[in-house]
Amino acid sequence: MFGITKIQFFNSNLKVLSTIIQQNGMSQYPNYYIKPIYKKDSQEELIKSGEIKKLSHLPTRAALADQTSSFSNDPLANLLINYCMREGNKILARNLVEQCFENIKRLQLEKYHKTTNEEDKHQIDLDPKSILHKAIENCKPILQLTPIKRGGVRYQVPVPITDKKAQFISMKWLIAAGQEKESTVRFNLQLARELIDAANNTGRVIKKKQDLHRQCEANRAYAHYRWS
Amino acid sequence: MILRQIMRVVHPLRPVTLQKNILAGINGSDSYSTEIKDSVPQEEPTKKNISKAMKAYLERAKEHEDFMQKQREEFQIGKRHLANMMGEDPETFTQDDIDHAIEYLFPSGLYEKKARPLMKPPEEVFPQRKAAEFDESGRPYHFLFYTGKPNYYQVLHDISHHLIELNKFEDSMIRKKIQPDPNLALDLSGYQWIDKESLEEKLVETIGDKDYEYFINCFVRLTAVPYAYKIKDFIFEYTEPLLNQVQTYDAVKPHIDSDGKQFITVYECPRKAARGDVTIRFPGTGKITINNQGITYFEDVQSREQLLFPLIFTDMLNKVDIECNVSGGGPSGQAGALRWGIAWGLRSFVDQDIIEKMRIAGLLTKDYRTRERKKPGQWGARRKFTWKKR
Repeated sequence: MFGITKIQFFNSNLKVLSTIIQQNGMSQYPNYYIKPIYKKDSQEELIKSGEIKKLSHLPTRAALADQTSSFSNDPLANLLINYCMREGNKILARNLVEQCFENIKRLQLEKYHKTTNEEDKHQIDLDPKSILHKAIENCKPILQLTPIKRGGVRYQVPVPITDKKAQFISMKWLIAAGQEKESTVRFNLQLARELIDAANNTGRVIKKKQDLHRQCEANRAYAHYRWS
Repeated sequence: MILRQIMRVVHPLRPVTLQKNILAGINGSDSYSTEIKDSVPQEEPTKKNISKAMKAYLERAKEHEDFMQKQREEFQIGKRHLANMMGEDPETFTQDDIDHAIEYLFPSGLYEKKARPLMKPPEEVFPQRKAAEFDESGRPYHFLFYTGKPNYYQVLHDISHHLIELNKFEDSMIRKKIQPDPNLALDLSGYQWIDKESLEEKLVETIGDKDYEYFINCFVRLTAVPYAYKIKDFIFEYTEPLLNQVQTYDAVKPHIDSDGKQFITVYECPRKAARGDVTIRFPGTGKITINNQGITYFEDVQSREQLLFPLIFTDMLNKVDIECNVSGGGPSGQAGALRWGIAWGLRSFVDQDIIEKMRIAGLLTKDYRTRERKKPGQWGARRKFTWKKR
């Protein structure tokens, strides 16, 4: 009896190893480990829908170093920090993004106090995180141009993109716009301005998105090269 | 198990057939004759037609059986020697005792458990073999023999059979206007399909990755049928329970210190190169001490957030005092080590429900991921040097 369990243990160990190699890319966790649900409210939702029972038998991965259940934690802001980061200097990247949020708050408050009309005052968003979310949402393109070679000629073919890819492109554009500035202006200030502009559906990044869409529209005749 | 099947097939045949083989060889020319012999038994002509494959199989089976018999005897003798060495009764010496004795007599520091000395019954050490699949005339027993994987296709055949039966049953229930009982519905949460290796062991056949995928797909389809609970036993034969998480629940009872406060200490909290220990005192005022400093021991905000994560999650902020010592590694690793230590210690002060929530939030899992080493001839752990033609 004991011997059998031991042999099974070896087998399961081997299985775990093979899953790491085959199915799970470079992850050090076996593929049946679930990702942590570290926000309290998202756990509450799972409890309400009853899906939490399914997770009760599955082991969880450890929460990552930038994940907390604190109210100030925002996954999209974390992503922005990671995209801003150069050579693993997370402390600097986080500082820059936080200063950018501070700048957004200052700029919006200034605007808020300058407006005299009560109705216009209510229109102004003072929450930097909601401005970030709005800006990213507004800058998401729905199409992209990919070069496809047909008959020795490269055609720029419009293709639809996934939501995740669109989000990445939108954030990449926003960061690039923040870096495109005079040498006297800081990145965090420029990024703050761009985010506010994008949240109001104006500015350089929105123009870039519209340009792309226009080009896609112009190249719609090539769209069939995607499959033929 | 399979060995016994071999025995069952081989044993009645062996003494008889081998003799008759010889006999058939001797008077082989006679059996073609048209003369009717009264004294010759009726099996005689079939014996002569024994196929070469069967002959070879019988030889192999005999060889294997002899070998196994020898091994079994050796094992019995070894077991008795071991029992005598350990000063115990050989008659009541169990496999557990053998394992203990081997561990005691041949202590091994080898990391790989397979490489350590072991003594097991030969049935477990030597791979199992299939029993004879065809009779003496070379006709296979199994109707799926010529598929090459009869046992595998038998399972698929069973699945399809069950599927047809269940569909028929469902049709009849629909005709009677009876809905399936949702309380009886098959619940496979907590179970997973057996992996390829164990399936191969079960079937005594080697199967390909695609075969395994097909097998799983068939079972998934079978379980999706509303009346699948009727064939529960068949389905559960090919599942295994998922890992049990019970060990995360049984928290240690807190000790009482000289001030009458409850306290608990977690030693050896690991993360990357950092190691630490955490003491939690309850009730407290939320004082945090790390290496005799406050939370300002960590200069960056992220590490401080990490330290407070389990406290915020369990609403124990300002209700417990925390003292920790940590060394090695960088700030992120140290914070991670202390986060795990605090979460592990807090289990003693919160109820079961919150512990389960903490587990799902990934607080109770040790983060054992570490930096992968650089390899020679490569730029880094995975990245290769830029390829240059010359």
